[in-house]
Amino acid sequence: MKAHARVVAESVDGRTVLRELRSCSPLTLVPHRGKPGHVHLVNSASAPLGGDELDLTLVAGPGARLRVASVAASLVLPGPRPAPSRFTVRVEAADGSIVEYSPDSMIVTHRARHTAAFTGSLEPGARLRVREMLVLGREGERPGSLRTETVVRRGGRPVLNQRLEIDSLIASPAVLAGRRVLASDLRVGHEDPPAAVAGEWCSLVPLAAGGSLATALAHDAVTAQRMIGSLNRSG
Amino acid sequence: MHAVALVLSDSRFPGGGHVHSGGLEEAAARGLVTDIPTLGLFLAGRLRTAGELAAIFAATAVECHEWSILDEELDARTPSPAQREASRAQGRATLRAGRGAWPSPVLDALVRATPRPHHAIVVGALTGIAGGSSGDAALTAAYLSVSGPASAAVRLLGLDPFAANAEVTRLGDAMHAVAERAVSSADLPPEDLPGPGAPGLDLLAEAHLRHHKEEVRLFAS
Repeated sequence: MKAHARVVAESVDGRTVLRELRSCSPLTLVPHRGKPGHVHLVNSASAPLGGDELDLTLVAGPGARLRVASVAASLVLPGPRPAPSRFTVRVEAADGSIVEYSPDSMIVTHRARHTAAFTGSLEPGARLRVREMLVLGREGERPGSLRTETVVRRGGRPVLNQRLEIDSLIASPAVLAGRRVLASDLRVGHEDPPAAVAGEWCSLVPLAAGGSLATALAHDAVTAQRMIGSLNRSG
Repeated sequence: MHAVALVLSDSRFPGGGHVHSGGLEEAAARGLVTDIPTLGLFLAGRLRTAGELAAIFAATAVECHEWSILDEELDARTPSPAQREASRAQGRATLRAGRGAWPSPVLDALVRATPRPHHAIVVGALTGIAGGSSGDAALTAAYLSVSGPASAAVRLLGLDPFAANAEVTRLGDAMHAVAERAVSSADLPPEDLPGPGAPGLDLLAEAHLRHHKEEVRLFAS
């Protein structure tokens, strides 16, 4: 299945208007009534399945506030054909805009072959927040193969560029130390922490070019979420 | 292989590598690495993440001399400030030794653009100046990503040095594979270079730095 969904938010007289809201099954976008610029992402079919190529583009014009959140966890499954699946999210944020993207947990099941890519292109005065949770396999299940790619640039300069490959080395203390859940909270253009804050399996770090990244590694999602919360970041 | 790769890989090269454990000290303090099998798993993961990232930038810096751009691209691929600091400290020390060995206007330009360059970029620059190839630089960076932590494990845990050394040599094919992939991406524009991340190493590095300030630790990273 190939699908490309798209949201374009603009600021009109200080109020965010969704200029374009194009759903494309299985990516269904539902605007939140009464909350301008808030959009729910509903997975209207079982996806991603092997062979799927899904694209989601989020565009925020100058001063617009766009917030996209999933309503449920996504389960990455192998498809009827032994093909890899790919989900690409692109954010374009203009000066003065605020974009928040919060997909629910992504659960990578056994035999899935999936790539999850996130690209953020920010103008210098844009703000971005991305909250993600990666769950490797359902309870007691070994995960399939997964590659995640996160690339964020602001004013053309690199802010964050990270690739993660989930394979036989996830048990290594250098990679995921055998932990099943990786939670992250990336903020760019928000207030940065003056110095790094670290717990045993979580940290909040200022990035070199501005922006900050909170990360937690845990055995379950509830603990990972609590660890991210414990990093005591305002908002 | 060019002799520069042997010189830079030698633990007697005065580039300050001996004060870094590459996260091994923190992993050992937490009981994550206790013996030879757990050391082997640590090293294999380190090679495929931090080692591959270093190999990619070392291979690229042999030919590409856009020092400021390489520097900020590697920064963006190193989210942990503790890891950035360790890389720059080792880069600075390697540069000091390298300027004596291979003086060159290329190095002068590197220092002008980035007074505290990242280690991988210095390894690539020195390899290129000495006449080595991007493959030499990548293999050097890949080897250094595991040889230092292995020797740190011997000192910290009292492991059998012969067995620890065997874990390094067991990764020989994996090192060549990492170096080959690094060479294949070396011609890409710097912004398109891959950025293999290591959440585990990043968290170990931040925690190590905190412990380093609170209690006595043998290694700076």
